Amino acid sequence: MPALHVENLVKVYPDGTKAVNDISFSVEDGEFFGFLGPNGAGKSTTIKIVTTLLKKTSGKAIVAGHDLDREPQSIRRVIGVQAQETGVDEDLTGRENLELMGQLYGVTGDRLEERVNGLLKLVGLEAEASKRAGYYSGGMKKRLDLASALVHTPQILFLDEPTTGLDPQSRAAIWNYLKDLNKKEKVTIFLTTQYMEEADRLCDRIAIVDQGKIVSSGTPNQLKTEIGADVITITMPEAELVEHPERREEAMKILEVVPRITSVSVFENGISVYVRNGGSVVPEVVRALDNAKINVGSISLSSPSLDDVFLKHTGHRIRPEELKKPSRGMMFMRRRRR
Amino acid sequence: MGLFGESYYFFRRAFKKLLRNPIVLLFSLIQPIIFLLIFTQLFDGLANLPNWRQITGVTTYLAFAAPGLVLMNAFSSALQSGVTMVDDIQSGFLDKVLVTPVRRSSILLGRMMADAVRILIQSVILLSLAMLLGATLNNGIVGVLTILGIIAFFGLAWAGISHSIGLRTKNQQAVFSAGFLLTFPLMFMSTMMMPDSFMKDWIREVSKYNPISFAVNAIRSLMILSFADWQPTNWTSLEQSILVIGGLAALSLSSAALAFKKVVE
Repeated sequence: MPALHVENLVKVYPDGTKAVNDISFSVEDGEFFGFLGPNGAGKSTTIKIVTTLLKKTSGKAIVAGHDLDREPQSIRRVIGVQAQETGVDEDLTGRENLELMGQLYGVTGDRLEERVNGLLKLVGLEAEASKRAGYYSGGMKKRLDLASALVHTPQILFLDEPTTGLDPQSRAAIWNYLKDLNKKEKVTIFLTTQYMEEADRLCDRIAIVDQGKIVSSGTPNQLKTEIGADVITITMPEAELVEHPERREEAMKILEVVPRITSVSVFENGISVYVRNGGSVVPEVVRALDNAKINVGSISLSSPSLDDVFLKHTGHRIRPEELKKPSRGMMFMRRRRR
Repeated sequence: MGLFGESYYFFRRAFKKLLRNPIVLLFSLIQPIIFLLIFTQLFDGLANLPNWRQITGVTTYLAFAAPGLVLMNAFSSALQSGVTMVDDIQSGFLDKVLVTPVRRSSILLGRMMADAVRILIQSVILLSLAMLLGATLNNGIVGVLTILGIIAFFGLAWAGISHSIGLRTKNQQAVFSAGFLLTFPLMFMSTMMMPDSFMKDWIREVSKYNPISFAVNAIRSLMILSFADWQPTNWTSLEQSILVIGGLAALSLSSAALAFKKVVE
């Protein structure tokens, strides 16, 4: 039985926004599964629905064998959730935060004490455990938040962008905990991220989401090989693109007939070409473009990344947003103004 | 774990937060204290009016105003509580709690328990200060407990209002502004600061139906007049104020619970 099974999930917000548009997927028991996509792709909305926080418009979800509609309470007992906003109470100490969350899950007494100590150690907050969380750095808060999602030893862990906005060290530290949790403790993990690298390093399987839909899914390697062995990225001078936007399509048509090129797609500043054995094709590409008198800004050759996979399926790149997202209060005000 | 056990976790959290933010506690005590210390002295001369004693039953303005000023701490405490709820929504704490299997009702119940206890403690402090300054308290422990009960329920009624606003707007400023705009005029259109015979006719009319007047009148009778001297009108006024405050609390708390249910679902 899969740990998580979602079928034809749809969420339409009252203002008409279709945040999740017919998404179906399954996560196997013990799997590390990721949703990769930009802001607004519907990642958070999906997590909020399957963790019982948000009502879906239609569709079906089974979490740890429990039906979302009929047994939300059973689901809550066996899942751990780390939301995008670190919901730690800044007036309470790290330890108190963990204790409170444990108590709300019905963990008490010695068992709670033991668990809290173990988790503080796991996320490296032992020394700061009796300091108020308000004094913690962003990375420490995220770690505390992660620990509090684990206090009741959940079967499935849901992580909504666990490292967004963190410095590289904190990010690496969290990656390590997550890998350990998944491999050693056999916790099934569902993660959303805007970072290619994060999905690539951690996930057994990835679904690429954009505008409320899953555009492609598979293991990171499958996804990468699917688009061809190499990527040649050609950028065009900005002035040229502004004055003669049709030149990009022209270039695309020219390149499509070059032998060994598997596919060509355009993006904002130019063209991506997917080829087998890219190094030997570069000269031909240059020659073809030169013959057609198309100005080229730069040409680069690289092995495909998930970014290329994303680009190929959606026509745009993921731009991770490092800025803090507006709080829900502000979002509410924005919605009102509209 | 029962409902009260779960509520207790939220009660304890709310109290810890309060004790760790003494400025918040101070803020809700400072206004009534300033009024007790300064405002009462500003209007001291009122007691020299020829019929002051007849109208109020006391010889100083302080003794007249103290009952209303003791009630005053309930307003800012209740408003702060609504703001804290908005904080919990915005910080993501509420969502964190909502993914746990804890009963939804315990979240609100624990908070209300904390509000009530907080207002009780503050009221004891203010009552003591008022006594030190010369206010009278003529009905012993029964009188004090009744007064505290009235203030606590009044505070819950106001906490219900501030939560209703907070949960519907999800905006701290809205809670403060709307709470302030509602509370301040109502305070001045009640018998909190002046006997109703001093008022313009229209204010007296408002005051007659103003829940603040009901609460203040009952507390005032309990403080100034010993039960032995109570007239039937005093007893009716106490009964009415209990009904009005209880009714208002029931209404505003239901409204808050409804708004909470909508946020939670």
